[in-house]
Amino acid sequence: MRRLGAVALTVAVSLGLAACAETEPEPEPVTVGLIIKQDENPFFVEIREVAQDTADELDAELLTAAGRSDVDNASQVAALERMSSAGAEGILITPADSRAIVPAIERARAAGVTVIALDTPTEPESAVDAVFATDNRLAGELVGRYARARAEQDELEPQIALLDLAPGITSGELRRAGFLAGFGIREGDPRVVGSVDTEGDETKGRVGMRRLLERTPGINVVYAVNEPAAFGAIAALEAAGKDADDVLLVTVDGGCQAMKEGIRAGDIDATSQQYPENMGREGVEAIVRNTRGGEPPAGYLNTGVELIAAEPAPGVDSRDEAFGTRNCWG
Amino acid sequence: MESAASALGPAAQPAKVRLFHPGLTLPFVLIVLCFAAWGAAANLTDVLVGVFRRIFDMSNFQSSLVQFAYYGAYFLLAIPAAFLNRRFGFKAGVLVGLGLAAVGGMLFIPASELLVYEFFLLALFVLAAGLSILETSANPLAIAMGPEESATQRLNLAQAFNPVGANIGVLLGAVLILPGLTSEASKTIMTPEEVRQSQEADLSLVLGPYVGIAIVLVVIWLLILRSRMDTPAPPVSELDDADSGTLGRLWHNHHYRYGVAAQFFNVAAQVCAWTFTILYAQDVVGLSVEAAGWYLQASLILFLVSRFAMTYLLGIFRPTLLLLIMAVLGVGFCSVAMFSQNIVGLCAVVAISLSLSLMFPTIYGVALKGLGEDAKFGAAGLVMAILGGATIPLLHGALMDQIGAALAFVVPGVCLAFVALYALFDLRTTRAATAQAPQGGAS
Repeated sequence: MRRLGAVALTVAVSLGLAACAETEPEPEPVTVGLIIKQDENPFFVEIREVAQDTADELDAELLTAAGRSDVDNASQVAALERMSSAGAEGILITPADSRAIVPAIERARAAGVTVIALDTPTEPESAVDAVFATDNRLAGELVGRYARARAEQDELEPQIALLDLAPGITSGELRRAGFLAGFGIREGDPRVVGSVDTEGDETKGRVGMRRLLERTPGINVVYAVNEPAAFGAIAALEAAGKDADDVLLVTVDGGCQAMKEGIRAGDIDATSQQYPENMGREGVEAIVRNTRGGEPPAGYLNTGVELIAAEPAPGVDSRDEAFGTRNCWG
Repeated sequence: MESAASALGPAAQPAKVRLFHPGLTLPFVLIVLCFAAWGAAANLTDVLVGVFRRIFDMSNFQSSLVQFAYYGAYFLLAIPAAFLNRRFGFKAGVLVGLGLAAVGGMLFIPASELLVYEFFLLALFVLAAGLSILETSANPLAIAMGPEESATQRLNLAQAFNPVGANIGVLLGAVLILPGLTSEASKTIMTPEEVRQSQEADLSLVLGPYVGIAIVLVVIWLLILRSRMDTPAPPVSELDDADSGTLGRLWHNHHYRYGVAAQFFNVAAQVCAWTFTILYAQDVVGLSVEAAGWYLQASLILFLVSRFAMTYLLGIFRPTLLLLIMAVLGVGFCSVAMFSQNIVGLCAVVAISLSLSLMFPTIYGVALKGLGEDAKFGAAGLVMAILGGATIPLLHGALMDQIGAALAFVVPGVCLAFVALYALFDLRTTRAATAQAPQGGAS
């Protein structure tokens, strides 16, 4: 009799579970497009991989495309049109050319496609539904505050070199402005002994740093707009016979190479780490949520930035190199 | 952690000796399940250190308190468990141990509701306290379940399921907990409320395996409660047996005294290596937490396979010579882990398990060799060397906070150096002749 009861209970539970399984509604199909600048830069690879994982988790389809280089606008335009025709409900794009891509985005939006710019805003920013990107000014400000605290701790008379991106590129300008604000100085401050444009390139960073050192050998604080430029600066400083202890070097990015070969080695003192994984995940989630009846994406979403320091500076919150390594990309 | 009883080596068995007394086959199977259960719980705890660090965003020292709670309970409950067995019998000991461990597993439910780390430590303490009693009771119960002639065979058979459980424990962590954890990067943009929700979600992942283990323990508890176990009464306690001279004789026996110290450092090195493998993979190499879990799994598999290989090699080489070689190799692996801060260093961390694989039973056997009747009391001292697993990982964690995950591997390196010194001591000194054969079998 007891066995019969147990069998009956098992059958009842099984039927109950089956009933629950049957009532679970199928999620509405969603197609998301992702267009990155190029698929060799680890930053964009991270965005693509996380976007794919998120799409899989949410039962969405992800279409992907990439340009042939950082400035390949034509491929991005073609991809936008192809994905719109393929029925994508939303497209995530890291614009290679913030202005030239706008007409193609407007056509897609006119066709009912939601477009979110990742990492780099369009010009005008209102050309897209939303921008999910690093707060570049904050990124610069964090390393600026750190550099100032360390300079005071080490009792330095700051002679600052700025390795910038290039004129007219918003992210670089915001980082520079943030650094100056964080350091507590304004444009034209005499403590800034020189600046060069590096286009974020290691070779140009090395050449630019060498020129600045020729002009001002006593440079003891260096700001580099990104980590490739920082590695260029390190090479130039070493060539000039300067030790890592002689110069305070701060930068922005948070890639794995910088964590393992820069921060860990002590050549880079601090970097502001940005999170491409947040761009990929939040972007896909926003499109899927919107398509399935949620809030449409709008405005700006800060995708996070953390100060990673080789050693902490007084009065400045930072994360250690281990945190940076756990969360780096590339 | 492994049991001291695993040190019992193979013994010549007369032909056709029964493995169990009549009617005790099923109870023995249940006891074997206990061996697997505490192996699973112990090594799932190794995974937890990194998991709690991530969920509660705490220091390595703070997260290492997980091992302090776990192995501290093991240490503290070992002697009360022996008295429990003496007063009420092995079956009662097993039932109390299973029950307490199940309560500990269930305490994860309120702990995850409250989101308080200290509550989890309490739950782990209770779980480990139960498992300590269980282990202390299950070993002699397994011995008592059949003829004395087949005791070693029976115990080795039961012990074989402990590393199986250990691997299952890590697998549970690697499959059910690690892949689902909220990423640290995503937390950088969360509101406090969202962080709290993510903690709840992550802790629900931790909850699953522990409640699962608790349910299994309750089922075993019920089955053992209902099964007849007509085993002989427990022998007089080893502790009661010790006359006033035992302690003095043991203290003056350098092979024993240093052996306890060596066992302390061996257990410490083992717990450090396994606890901090996942953290090394993440912090030094930059692997994802789910990938890191598989390296811990590889460590345990290597440990298991090496144990068999060492059993063969122990038949060829003098045990302490092999112990010396493996300990020096272990120091070498720790050095590589410290200074080769990449995938090679991580492989070295995994390889430490190779050198650890023979240490517990070998030190156990060498330290007790020639002690005669004093070995019964001496064995308790060696088991209590588990204290190394509770204390030294705290030092490792604290050092990790100061000098990083790689250089902190100096801690297991120094521990293994002490083990090497012990092996060297044994190789270079002679013992006084004793009247009785050694108790442990590894040497």
